[in-house]
Amino acid sequence: MSNEASGGIKEKTHVILLRKGSNSRMALKEKIVQIYEAFFQGEDPSRGNANFWDELFLLKVNTQFIEAEIEKLSGEGLLNLKENFNLLFYKAVESLNQENPIRIINALQTLCALIRGIFRKSTGNYGFDIINLLIGFDAADSVMQNLVESINHFLTGDFPCSLKQFSLKFLLVLITATDNISQNTMLEYIMNNSVFESLILNLGNQLFRLQLGHDAVLVLTMLVQYRKYESANPYIVKLSILDDELALTGYAQVVSLLLSDFNRDYQTQTNEQQSGWFSSLANMVGNMFVPEEKKIESVKANDLILLSLYEAIHLNRNFITALTHSHTPSTATTPPSSPVLSKPPALDLQVTENGNGDESTATQPTNLLVTFLEYSSIVMQDTKDTVRHNNAKLCLIILTCIAEDQYANSLMHDVNMTFRVPLHRMPMRHRKVKVEKYLTSRPLVASLLDLMVEFTMSHMMKLFPMELYLRSLGIIHRVLCYQKKCRVRLQYPWKELWTALINLLKFVMSHETALIKKHDIFILSSKVVNVFNLFVTYGDTFLPNPNSYDELYYEIIRMHQVFDNLYSMALRYTTTEGEYKDSAARLTNNLVNVRAIINHFTPKVDSWSAANNLSSLTEDQVLEVVRSNYDTLTLKLQDNLDQFERYSEKPKETPFFTQLVRSINCDVKKSVSNLSAQHHDMLMELSHVS
Amino acid sequence: MTSSELMKVEFEAPSPILSKSSSSIHNAANSVSQSALSFYVDRKAADSEVNGNYQSMESDKNHLEERMRDTLHLLPNGLLPQENQAKLHQAKPHSVHFTDQNNIAKICDHVSPSLLERSLSYSAVEQTNSSELLHVTDQTTVNQTNPDQSDSMIQDDGLVEEGVDVAMATDIEYCVNGGENVEGVGMDVVSMETNKTDKLDPKSLQLNLHHVGKNVHISTCDSKSAKERSQMLKKTKVPPPRQSWLLRLFESKLFDMSIAISYLFNSKEPGVQSYLGNRLFSFRDEEIDLYLPQIVNMYIQMHDVAEAIHPYIVHRCRYSIEFSIHTAWLLGAYSADVLKPTWKNSQGIKLKNLILNEELSPTYPKHIQSVEVTAPTSPTGSKKTHIRSRSDATGIYLKHSESQPALLNAINVMGDLTTGRAFDNGCTCHTSSEAMFNNLTGRETLCSCEAPRLMPELEFVKSLMSIGIRLQLLPTKELRTSRLIAELAMLNLNLPARVWLPISDKGIHHIVRIPHTQAVVLNSKEKAPYLLYVEVLECENAASSQVPSKILENTLRFTRSEEDLSGHYCNRGNGSPRGEFSVYGNSTDFDDADCWSQEDDEIIQFALKCRPSDTISQMSTESSTSADSKEPVYIAAGDIRRRLSENITAPKGKFERDPDDPSAAALKEPWEEKVRRIRESSPYGHMPNWRLMSVIVKCGDDLRQELLVYQVLKQLQSIWRQEHVPLWIFPYKIIVTSNNSGMIEPVLNAISLHQIKKHSKMTLRDYFIHEFGPPTSEEFLTAQRNFVQSCAGYCLVCYLMQVKDRHNGNILLDANGHIIHIDFGFILSNSPGKNLGFENSAFKLTHEFAEVMDGLGSDMFEYFKILMLQGLVASRKHMDKILPLVEIMQTGSQLPCFSKGVSTIRSLKERFHLNLTEEQLQLLVDNMVESSLHSLTTKLYDGFQYYTNGIL
Repeated sequence: MSNEASGGIKEKTHVILLRKGSNSRMALKEKIVQIYEAFFQGEDPSRGNANFWDELFLLKVNTQFIEAEIEKLSGEGLLNLKENFNLLFYKAVESLNQENPIRIINALQTLCALIRGIFRKSTGNYGFDIINLLIGFDAADSVMQNLVESINHFLTGDFPCSLKQFSLKFLLVLITATDNISQNTMLEYIMNNSVFESLILNLGNQLFRLQLGHDAVLVLTMLVQYRKYESANPYIVKLSILDDELALTGYAQVVSLLLSDFNRDYQTQTNEQQSGWFSSLANMVGNMFVPEEKKIESVKANDLILLSLYEAIHLNRNFITALTHSHTPSTATTPPSSPVLSKPPALDLQVTENGNGDESTATQPTNLLVTFLEYSSIVMQDTKDTVRHNNAKLCLIILTCIAEDQYANSLMHDVNMTFRVPLHRMPMRHRKVKVEKYLTSRPLVASLLDLMVEFTMSHMMKLFPMELYLRSLGIIHRVLCYQKKCRVRLQYPWKELWTALINLLKFVMSHETALIKKHDIFILSSKVVNVFNLFVTYGDTFLPNPNSYDELYYEIIRMHQVFDNLYSMALRYTTTEGEYKDSAARLTNNLVNVRAIINHFTPKVDSWSAANNLSSLTEDQVLEVVRSNYDTLTLKLQDNLDQFERYSEKPKETPFFTQLVRSINCDVKKSVSNLSAQHHDMLMELSHVS
Repeated sequence: MTSSELMKVEFEAPSPILSKSSSSIHNAANSVSQSALSFYVDRKAADSEVNGNYQSMESDKNHLEERMRDTLHLLPNGLLPQENQAKLHQAKPHSVHFTDQNNIAKICDHVSPSLLERSLSYSAVEQTNSSELLHVTDQTTVNQTNPDQSDSMIQDDGLVEEGVDVAMATDIEYCVNGGENVEGVGMDVVSMETNKTDKLDPKSLQLNLHHVGKNVHISTCDSKSAKERSQMLKKTKVPPPRQSWLLRLFESKLFDMSIAISYLFNSKEPGVQSYLGNRLFSFRDEEIDLYLPQIVNMYIQMHDVAEAIHPYIVHRCRYSIEFSIHTAWLLGAYSADVLKPTWKNSQGIKLKNLILNEELSPTYPKHIQSVEVTAPTSPTGSKKTHIRSRSDATGIYLKHSESQPALLNAINVMGDLTTGRAFDNGCTCHTSSEAMFNNLTGRETLCSCEAPRLMPELEFVKSLMSIGIRLQLLPTKELRTSRLIAELAMLNLNLPARVWLPISDKGIHHIVRIPHTQAVVLNSKEKAPYLLYVEVLECENAASSQVPSKILENTLRFTRSEEDLSGHYCNRGNGSPRGEFSVYGNSTDFDDADCWSQEDDEIIQFALKCRPSDTISQMSTESSTSADSKEPVYIAAGDIRRRLSENITAPKGKFERDPDDPSAAALKEPWEEKVRRIRESSPYGHMPNWRLMSVIVKCGDDLRQELLVYQVLKQLQSIWRQEHVPLWIFPYKIIVTSNNSGMIEPVLNAISLHQIKKHSKMTLRDYFIHEFGPPTSEEFLTAQRNFVQSCAGYCLVCYLMQVKDRHNGNILLDANGHIIHIDFGFILSNSPGKNLGFENSAFKLTHEFAEVMDGLGSDMFEYFKILMLQGLVASRKHMDKILPLVEIMQTGSQLPCFSKGVSTIRSLKERFHLNLTEEQLQLLVDNMVESSLHSLTTKLYDGFQYYTNGIL
C-alpha cells in the first residue's frame, strides 16, 4: 500500500520535472525533493503511510529547494498550500520530541527553511498573515509552545553540543526573519514562552559557554530589542533583574572574548605596519591602506557585541561586577572535566600585545572593562565614516552608563585594583606614536580619563564630531562628580586634561564660523568651562594635593587669552538676537569664576614681574604669586555644578538604536542564511555519536 | 611495659599465679624509663626525701571505698542494660583491648548507659593493628567483676607484685641522680587538689612530686566538664590496698595533657600507653588540640603509641570535620620525613588516607535523638537577620544548585572554581524542609547523605594554596598583586560555602566573601605568601548550620524601599550634610549613595515620579542662569586651597600605597578602620554576625618549625601568666597543611621595623614619639612599657629557642608599642648562612631598642633586665612543659632545626641553666644583654641584610 503510494508520487514528479527542463535534473536524484514537490503540488504524501514523517525527517533537508519553491509561489498559491505548510510545520515540531538527534536536526532545518521562505514572501505584501500560513491560527499557540519547550529542552538537557548550537541558530533565524525585529509577530510566542532561563544556564556553564556563549548572547540581545519601546518585553525585565553571578560573568566573558579578538587583530595589523615602516617606504604605503579596510570590516562585525555589552550594562545592575571581574588566562584550578573542550586559545593570546615572549604581560590579568577601553581607543581613532562614528558613539554611550554607576566608579577608583590598559593612539602629524613599552598599572579610571583626553586631542577636525565631544565631556563630568561626592583623590596628571580642554576651546573659537552653522558651540564650551568650574570650586574635595590646585590656576592664567576670547565671543552672540542667544548667555555666566581668577591674578603677576624686573616669569615664579594671592580672591559658587542629566535611552537615543538594531538584524540574518554547511558537519558528528 | 603491669598490680589482689613470672618483671623493670619512674615515689622514699615539700592529700580512703562499692552495685546490673551488653558481645575480641582492666581506672559517679555504649563502639571500630594486643574475651569485657576472669587475664599479662618494689627501687635511685635538679630549682610545693572521686587515705597519699619543678596546674578541667569523658572510663574492682603512684598521679588533679603527652612519649609500656590513650577521652578537646602535632608525630613515628591513641583519633575524626582535616594535614606534613614506609611507620599515611577517603563518617547512635530534644531550643536562630537583598522587585532567586541539575553533577565540579560550586559537596540535607524546620526550632541538622564531608574545606584550602603556587611564577610584586586579586575574584564566585578559616580558634563560621581587592602580596622574593581578608558569618555550627545565601556585590543600588527613600530624601534636603560646608546651601545635594543609586534604575524609576521632577532633571548648565535670581553664594579661593592642604597634611596614620610594597599600606591601616571600611562595602556587612578575619597563606614554605615555636610560645605565655611575670609575647597561630604549605595568623595592627624605617624615615624612638606622643605623655609611657615587656619576652624566646635571622623585616611593631618577632625559620640547631654563626649574640638587642627604653642604665632598661630574669626563672621552673614539646617533635624529624640530633634537646635544656642560682642567673642575663648590645655580628647581620635584601 505504502509502496504503491510513493510509487505514484514518483511517477508524477518524474513527469513534472521532465517537462520543466533539464536544469532541474540535479534535484531529480534526491528523494526528498520529490516529496517536497508533492507538497508544493498541494498533495499530502503522508496519507496512507504511517511511517512517512518518521522517514521524512531522516532524510537530509534541502532548504534551498523549499525556499526556492516558496519564492516561486504567488500569493494565492501560498494560501492554497496553507494546509500543507501547516502540516509540515506541525509535524516538524512534533518530531522534535523524538530521540534521534538526526531527526531533530532535520526537523529544525525544515522549520528554518519554512520560516525563511514564508517570511521572505511577506515582504511582498500579499496581505496574508504569516502565522496563519505557517502554523494556522488555531494551532499556533500550542504548536509554538511545543516548539519553545523543545528548544528549551535541547538547551538545558543532556544533548550533544551541536544540537544546542543548532537550536540557537534556529532561534536566530526566527528572530531575524523580518528586517524590523519589532514587526516579527512570531516573536510574541517566544515572549510568552521564555527561553531566557535556558540561555542563562548555558552562559553560566563554563563548558557550554565556549561553544554556545556567542549565540546565546546574540539571541538574548536580539530578543531584548523586540518592541523595546512599546510594550513590556519580558526579556528586558528578566535581564535587568538577573543576579546569577556566574551567568553574568559568562556573558561578560563572551563579550570580552570577541572584543579582544578585535583588539588582537588590530594589534597584529599595526605591528605589521610598523615593521613595514622600517623596511621600506613602498611597504609602508602598501600597508597603510590594506589594514584600513580590514579594520572597518571588523568594527562593523562588532556592533552586535557592543550592543550586547550596552544592554547588559544599561539594563542589569549586577553586570558592573562582571564588568570589572578580572580574569586570568588560566582560571580553572582543575582542567575541565570534558576532555574535548579545552580553554579558549584566544584568552591566552589576548594579553600578549607587548609580546616578545614576555612572561609578565602574558599572565597579566585583565577584565572586560580593560578590553573595552582598549577597543574604544581603537574605534575612536577614526570616526569619519558613519559606521565607525556610530560604533564610537555606542562606545561612548556605554562609557557614560559606566561613569554614571556608583558601584562601577568605586571599582574604577579602587587603588588596589590596578590594570595596564593598552590605549592606542592615532599617529598624527604633530606627534609621534609613543609606543609605551612599559605601561604602568593604574586604577581603571585613570585609563578612562586618558582615553577621553586622547579623544579630545585627536578629533579637532573639520568634520567636527560634536555629539561625541559632548558625550566625552559628559563622561569626564560624571567621573569628577563621583570624585567630588566620594572625596576620592585620584593621583592623576590633571594638567593633561586641562590642556586638552583649553585646546578644544581654542579650536572651537578658531573655527567659529564653520562650526556655528552646524552646532551650538556654546553648549560645548559651557560644558568645558563647567569642568573647570568643578576644579576651581570643589578642587579641595578631590585634587590629589595643593600643588595641583596651584597648577590649575597657573594654567588658567597662562591661557587667559583663550578664556577672554571665549567670553567676548559669547558676549557677541548675546547682544544679537539669534538661535544661540540663550546658550551664549549661559556661557558668559559660567565663565564668571574663570574670569575672576584671570582678572585677579594677571595684574598681580604683571606687577610682580615689574617689581622684579623680569620680562617673562618661570612657572615657579607664577605659582609663587598665585600662592600668595589666594586670600583676596572671592569665587562665586555656581549651582548644580555636580548635577548631570541621567542617561536615558528613551526618547533621545531611540532613533539611533532603532537604526543600529536594524543593521545588526541584517548582519545576523546574513550569518544564519546558510546553515547547510553546518548542518552537514553536524550530521556527521551526530552519526558518530549515535 | 612494666609500668602498666605495675598498675595492674595495684588493681589486682596478689595472686599465687602471678609470682611465676617474677623474673621477667625484674628485667623489665630495668627498662622502665626514668621519667616514668620519677613519679613513682614510695611512701618511704617520700618520707625520707620530703623536706616539707609535699602536701598530704586530704582524702579519705573510706570515702573512696564507699564510692567504689556504690559503683560496683551500679555498674553491671543497673547501668549495663541488655542492649549494651549485646553490643559488647558484638565487639571483636581483640578489638576491645581498651576495656581491659588496665584502663578501667576511674570511678564514675554517673555512668550513663549511652555514654558507655558509645565508648564501646569506639573500640568496635578500631580493628586495625590490634592483633598483637591483649586478647580479651567477650566475657571478661562484660563480666568484669568476675575475679576468675580477671585472674586469667592477669596471667596473660604475666604480672607480678614484685614489680612495684623494683620500680620503687629504681625510682629512689633516680631521685638521687636528679638531686642536683632538685637543689637547683627547689622542690616545688605540690598542691594536690583532691578530686571528689578519689579521696584516699592521707597516709597513703603523701605524694611528693619532684619531677623537676613540676607545678601542679589547678586543672581547669573541673569535674563537671571532664565528666562526660571520664564517664567512659570505668572501674570494676575495689582498688587493692596498695595503689601505684603512677596511677595516682594519672588520676590526680595534677594530671594534665602535658604530663600525659610526655608519658605517652617516654613510656614503653603498652599498659601505660593504652591507659593514656584512653585517658585522652577524658580531656577537653581544646587541651588535646594544643598537643595535636605531638600526638600526630608520635602516631607516625611510634607504632606502639599509635595503637594506643588510634581509637581516640578515630573517635575525634568521626565527630569533627575540623579535627579530621587538621589531623590529615599534620599527618601528611610529618609523614613527609618518613622516607621508606615500612609496616612500622606507615600507620600515619594509612590514617591520613583513611581520613581523606572519608571513611570515618560519624555513626550516630539512636540516643542522639533524645539528646537533641533536650538541647535548649533557642528561638533566636542564627538566621534572624533581615535579608534585604532579595527584594520584592526580583522575586526570583536562582540558586546554582537548583538551576544546574542536568548540566553538571556534583562530583565533577568539586574544586573547579569556574562552576561557582567548587566547594559544594552536593549535600542537600541542610536545604531540605526538615532542615529548615530544625533551623527554626534551633535544632541541629545532621547530614545523613553520603556527600563527602571534608571536601568543601579541603578544596577551599587547596585552591588558596594553588593561588600561592601560581603567584610564585610571576616576577614582580605588582603582577603578583593583580593576579592575586583576579584569582580571588574567581574564588569569590564560589562563596558562600560551607568552608571556614582553619586559623580561627573555632570553626564556627561560614566564609561568605573575600574582599579580593584588599588582599596583598607580602614581601618575599621567591615565595609568594599573601595576606587575605575574609568575611565570615558566624553560625552555631559550621558543619550543620545553613550556609548563608549569596548576596551580590552591588547591593547598595537596591537597598532601600520606596518609603524609606522618600523619608530619607526629605531629611537630606533640609540641611547641609556637612557642617563645615555651609556653602552647599540648600541646593539639593545628592550626596547620599543610597539616594543616588536609585535614580538610574529603570525598573524602579517610576517610584521616583511622585517627587517633583525639577530637582533631578535640571541640567547644571541651565541652572546657572536661573541661579542669578537667588542670592549668590561666594566662597574664598583661599579657603578652598586651605582645606585642600589641611586635608593632605592631616595625619592619616597611613602609609601611601607603594606598588613595590603593597603590604605596608595594607598592614598599617588600623584593623578597626579596615573592618569598618570593608563592612561598609560588603553586601553582607549589615548582618549582625558578620566578622572580618585575615590569614596569611604561605606556599612553598615549611611551617612545621613555626608550629613548634607557636606551641613553645603558647606554653611560655601561659607559664609567665601563671607566674605573674608581666612578659608579653604574641604566639600567632599556625596551620600546617603540608610539609611545604600552611597558614599563619596575621599579627593585627603591626608592621615590620623595616617598613617603619623605610616609610617613615625615622629612628625607632622618633617613630614612637611620632606615633604615641612626647616621651612624657601617658601614651608614650604605655607604649614604652609595652615595648619593654615584649622585648624582654622575645629576647628570652630568642635565647631559649636560638631564634636566628633576626633582621628588621622579621620584627614587627604593633599599634600599642609591642614588638613581635615573626619568621622562625632558623631556630635551635640551624641558623642562616650554613650555620656559620653569623649572629652569635644571645638575642637581638640593638642600641636603637635601648634608646626606646630611654637608653642604657635608665629605669626602663633596668626593668627590662629584671623582667628577663623573672621570665627566665619562671620558664626554668616549668621547663618540663616545654622540653617534651620539642623533644617529641624531634623524633624522626628531618627539620633543619633538629639537624644536630639529640644534642639539640640537650643544648635547649642547658639554656635553662638548672644549676645556677638566681644570683648567677642575674649575672648571666646581664652578660647576655651586654654582649648583645655590643655584638658586632648583629650590626654586621643587619648590614648584610641591607645589602643583600634591602632590609633597613
